[in-house]
Amino acid sequence: MNEMIFEAKDLSRSFTVGRSALRNLANRFLGERTPTVLRAVDNVSLTLREGETLGVVGESGCGKSTLARMIAGILPVSSGERHFRGEPYDSLLARKRDALKIQMVFQDPLSSLNPRLRVGEIVGEAAVLHGLVPRSRVKDYVVDILARVGLPADSISRYPHQFSGGQRQRVGIARSLAVKPDMLICDEAVAALDVSVQAQIINLLMDIKRESGLAMIFISHDLGVIRHLCDRVAVMYLGRVVELAETEQLFATPTHPYTRMLLDGMPKISLERRKFMPIQGEIPSPLNPPSGCHFHPRCPIATEHCRRTRPELREIASGHVHACLNVEAL
Amino acid sequence: MSRVSLNDFARRFAESRTAVISLMISLVFVACALFAPLMSPTNPYDLTQLQLTDALKPAGSKRMLPGEEVRANIRIEAGTASVEPALAAQTRQSITAESCGASCLSIGVQPEGTKLASLQIRNLPAGAAVEGGKKHIVQPWWTVDNPEGSKVRIVSNSPLPENFTVLAIAKSLDQETDFVFRLGTDGFGRDMLSAILYGIRISVFVGLVAAGAAMVLGTSFGLLAAWRGGVTDAVIMRAVDFMLGLPALLVGLAILAILGNGVSKVVLAIVIVQWSYYARTARSFAISELGKEYVEAARCLRLSPTRIMLRHVLPNCMPQIIVLFTLNIAAAISLESSLSFLGVGLPLTRPSLGMLIASGYEFIFSHKYWISIYPGVVLLVMIVAMNLLGDRLRDLNNPRLDR
Amino acid sequence: MTEPFFQVDGLNTWFFTRQGVIKSVRDISFDLRRGEVLGIVGESGSGKSVTGMSIMGQIDEPGRIVSGSISLDGQELTALTFEEMRRYRGRKIAMVFQNPLMTLNPLMRVRDQMYEAISEHEDVSHREMHDRCIEVLKAVGIPSPEERLNAYPHEMSGGMRQRVVIATALLLGPDMIIADEPTTALDVTIQAQIIYHIRRQIDERGLGMIWITHDLSTLSELADRIMVMYAGATMEIGTTEDIIGSSRHPYTRKLLDSVPSRNTPGEKLRQIPGNMPSLLSLEKGCPFASRCERATEICSEPVPATQLSATHRIWCYHPFEG
Repeated sequence: MNEMIFEAKDLSRSFTVGRSALRNLANRFLGERTPTVLRAVDNVSLTLREGETLGVVGESGCGKSTLARMIAGILPVSSGERHFRGEPYDSLLARKRDALKIQMVFQDPLSSLNPRLRVGEIVGEAAVLHGLVPRSRVKDYVVDILARVGLPADSISRYPHQFSGGQRQRVGIARSLAVKPDMLICDEAVAALDVSVQAQIINLLMDIKRESGLAMIFISHDLGVIRHLCDRVAVMYLGRVVELAETEQLFATPTHPYTRMLLDGMPKISLERRKFMPIQGEIPSPLNPPSGCHFHPRCPIATEHCRRTRPELREIASGHVHACLNVEAL
Repeated sequence: MSRVSLNDFARRFAESRTAVISLMISLVFVACALFAPLMSPTNPYDLTQLQLTDALKPAGSKRMLPGEEVRANIRIEAGTASVEPALAAQTRQSITAESCGASCLSIGVQPEGTKLASLQIRNLPAGAAVEGGKKHIVQPWWTVDNPEGSKVRIVSNSPLPENFTVLAIAKSLDQETDFVFRLGTDGFGRDMLSAILYGIRISVFVGLVAAGAAMVLGTSFGLLAAWRGGVTDAVIMRAVDFMLGLPALLVGLAILAILGNGVSKVVLAIVIVQWSYYARTARSFAISELGKEYVEAARCLRLSPTRIMLRHVLPNCMPQIIVLFTLNIAAAISLESSLSFLGVGLPLTRPSLGMLIASGYEFIFSHKYWISIYPGVVLLVMIVAMNLLGDRLRDLNNPRLDR
Repeated sequence: MTEPFFQVDGLNTWFFTRQGVIKSVRDISFDLRRGEVLGIVGESGSGKSVTGMSIMGQIDEPGRIVSGSISLDGQELTALTFEEMRRYRGRKIAMVFQNPLMTLNPLMRVRDQMYEAISEHEDVSHREMHDRCIEVLKAVGIPSPEERLNAYPHEMSGGMRQRVVIATALLLGPDMIIADEPTTALDVTIQAQIIYHIRRQIDERGLGMIWITHDLSTLSELADRIMVMYAGATMEIGTTEDIIGSSRHPYTRKLLDSVPSRNTPGEKLRQIPGNMPSLLSLEKGCPFASRCERATEICSEPVPATQLSATHRIWCYHPFEG
């Protein structure tokens, strides 16, 4: 098995909502409880091996984008440890050139590109600044990278708004590749694209991975895309990982009730009509998550136990963990 | 901005006729400011050119040359006359003399056509007289009032002596020149047109420099507040709130009362008043830009915070800041004019438009309206044009108003 | 089968911009029966949203309906004035957008917004308005509708807001609803719930619905018939079985094939090469020809419709064999 490239242990990110001097004072006198803490990511542990693709899937508000930014090192953690090739992030991020090994591709192909810079500069800026390539040769360097992502050489002098959505996402990918990363985090990188363009970008990412052996963390709400791209998948619900397994295993034998619900709800192109009533209930607000297992209000097999106890991740088969107190009992 | 979107911007700008006219007017004013020394007929700063005789003349009147007194000794030696000016003072006119026969001497004034009030000849030799002149009761002085052709002739029944000397004193009338005061003159006899052109120059200069300096300072503070957040943000923004709460004119008055007047001090006062607008605008737009994914991407590319702020965030805030700049130039000009009007702005010797309005204020009730009205109209047109220009730029930057 | 009550015939909606004429919708024809969901599917720039806006009479300058007819129960909609169209809207045709905040006023309670929608067109008592609101909120699966009536839009989740918008659309008992990407921004579990409730309402109330989306998988579960659009033109129209099960058009097939779930995991997706042509530079022929493997010279000629069966129509010179 390959070496570990990235390891996260008990990553958490919490925000205090509505904290202000006045509010604190009011709370003190009115005897209100402590300010609300929003736990966007709650004790998440993940590993990634060299060359592997890990999928993170979940619905809006599950904390997957916050997790992506913590892994990319552009958001600090509230608690927990991050290691890249055995080195803690604190010392890694201090050495900027080494920190470049971790790169990210963003969701919105337009807002993730600075509208006032030409593509040549968007792609080449960091490589020059960090001394990966001398300024005199940057043009050829950028043209090479643009060719790799399937953009013509004359793109170099154009602005982001002159491209289509798919081409913009190619520019975003080229920007990451230009600093020679070893690990690429894709946050909903194809969500904003049309189906046919989405297929082109997915194929591009697969080509890049095959050529350069990049390790990848692919974050998406789209199970179809995740299934197609990833070796392993982590399912998140309200800031926690509820199930993690090899892709095939997860799609063949999902164990956590939430994973099952997601797979059932996954839109498929088929002529079979869904006759049953879909599972009811809203995704609760992360500001006020349910007690115990966060999923219990929507869970068909929840018991009193689930309301009180927070389930921990347990291994149920080799490489397959989930956080459900009840599944085995049934 | 790319060429494509710049073209597009220009086209959308041109959709409003008001905006185009405003732009043209503003450009005319900038040209006035740049080329005032070339365009203005006189230099209003040159105090030696001022004549009190020209003061308070209405538009269209001509400059008058005041009458002057010229003295010269006219020496006749062996029948030939030579003139030696008696006073060394610079004069425009000079006295000429020429012999017109054995018993005749003609005395005149150069240049031709100078109208004389009187020409007096003193110390005539005995027996000689001046044609058409009156003799002094006691002295041998002959005076001719309004001499015809500005010439007099000394005549005698007998031939004049070989050698003698007379003193000629020519007093000329006030004289009209070709120079026209197209907009009249102020209380010091300054040409209003020149004063207005130079006033525009000063006002535009003060407006541009002050608004520009305020932009640099305020934008820097705004970016700093947006980037650092927390205490820095709180301190800067409370200072901004404080400044925005005070009336601009009052702050300007207070500052100039302490510092005294002068161009640099007016600029400083305007900067202190205006930086807060830029700080507030720059901060709010920088914060919204900082939330965009391209900033996260720049962070992921491990670029330094300074570079992210100056190279990535600032250029995306610039359109809004430039709009504010346009509007604030007009505000700066009007603040400077108000301060000058109140007498604490620019010195009297370098009048801005506000100063001119103020200096005409005392004459306005004696129907000498032009001293205040003309600079007032110019100021009004300039500020309205710049405000309309700024409004249009702001509308173009606001996607909500864009169809 | 009932007769169609709504017909669009030869619709052309063009935008006259400085760069040239953008022919966003070219010769679109379709009809709709009561109790039927017609899905219009296409990628961005295909003209699917412009079709919806044309029906609603919401095409703004510099665009206009150049030709074609849109008729509802024999009433020609393109002949209506702006004011007549506004009255017609809401009563007969309701529209649901992707972003519920486009329809909901953030400063008003749900109750007031829904009451306003009724009182705009009808004169009824508060009691009756209240009952009708509760009824439609229940119909779209909103739990505790009494509470929701008192809420402000920001107090609800995205899924709940969209349900309120759909409920408001049902409020006046319209003949048809046009929904433009109504579930695209929502999570899959919520999307499944909404689709379930909408399907039930369509069947119970006998409404006609036009569901505009880029997502074939939603349509395969919801729609009775599907129209596939590309670069402003119809490629293929037929029942869901015709389109999903036995499509004959190269574009529809390619589109279906590029969906990840119809590919082997880990292998390259069967992508469509190239980009959609600019709508400014369209030739008279098939717009898909430049990206199509089956294209020949004849594809640059105007493409006539071929009726493959009673329900299935296609615009292609080289369709796949059935």
